[in-house]
Amino acid sequence: MINDKNSQKIVDIIQNWSRKHSIWVLAYGTGCGAIEIPPTMTSRYDAERLGVRGAATPRQADVLLITGYLTTKTLKRVIRVYEQMQDPKYVIGFGSCTINGGMYYDSYNTIKVLDKYLPVDVYINGCMPRPESVLAGFGKLQELIGDGKANGADKYKENLDWYRANQKKIIPNWVMPEYNW
Amino acid sequence: MQQLKANLIEHIKTSFKDARVQDYPDENRLDFYVNKQCIPSILTYAKDRLGYIHLSHIAIVDWLEEGEFELIYIIWSPEEKIKMFVRTRLDRENPVIANIDMIWRQANTYEREFREMYGIQFQGLEAPEEFILEDWNGPPPMRRDFDTEAYANETFFHRPGREDALDVREEIIKRSREEIPEFAKKYSR
Repeated sequence: MINDKNSQKIVDIIQNWSRKHSIWVLAYGTGCGAIEIPPTMTSRYDAERLGVRGAATPRQADVLLITGYLTTKTLKRVIRVYEQMQDPKYVIGFGSCTINGGMYYDSYNTIKVLDKYLPVDVYINGCMPRPESVLAGFGKLQELIGDGKANGADKYKENLDWYRANQKKIIPNWVMPEYNW
Repeated sequence: MQQLKANLIEHIKTSFKDARVQDYPDENRLDFYVNKQCIPSILTYAKDRLGYIHLSHIAIVDWLEEGEFELIYIIWSPEEKIKMFVRTRLDRENPVIANIDMIWRQANTYEREFREMYGIQFQGLEAPEEFILEDWNGPPPMRRDFDTEAYANETFFHRPGREDALDVREEIIKRSREEIPEFAKKYSR
């Protein structure tokens, strides 16, 4: 095959089209927003017609849904899960707690701005967002994938030092290995 | 009911002379206030001799102005159907009390929570140091003089607000043209 820009573009279009129509969501509800996932997946607001289904392990998932507040105890585990997921991977932040702390803005335990610790592609606002909002969020993610702009994973790899510094500031007992790529 | 309560007061008063009683005539509830040294013996006496075999709850009140913690043990008797509240006060600077988990096993969980969240020492409590909070090395968080907002502002990043943010309450008032009462005005910006 000729390895020039036009054929690379065609390959990209086909690749993005097929990725956006089969998004596997990791079955991990981090906060209280996880209660809106079952209505979205069941028959009334069917999400399976968009290709969205649950994945059992992080190695098989595409999307990590951070549904709601994240305590520092959960953040330590979520970072580990996020780094076990394989490319291409996306993060969706659900609810107002991932945006600016939400209802728990003055809590001694929860993080307020998710963007400093994990790269977020799409935010869905609400407390909790209704299933129609969730489907709109998935639609937006599909649009971003189709344009080739959903590159949170690349951003994480390039700015790993900055993300690590932020994470280590609030997690005293760090148990993850140090990467050197 | 009154007769049962009177019997109970008499039983307790014969063995524990300086227990103070408060009666609630319309409810099935009695309050006793004792010194903290008497707590294991009064609870054992109530459990073994008087039939108060069920520990419902252990509650705590933080009296910041008086400088004391108040511990309340709520026990229940299924035959007489009376709730007995046993209250003590602990000094807030150095809160020490004996632990009672050999009387009721579930008190272990309550005492671990108080040790972590309020900083109360229970003598003889054998349990791992960490309970719910992980890697926590600040002051006990449930005390009333721990300012969680200040702690959160200093430890975590905050997203700056929008410049054109409107106040929700005032917008609604403007649109519906109604007056808010005096006590609610302090919540507006």
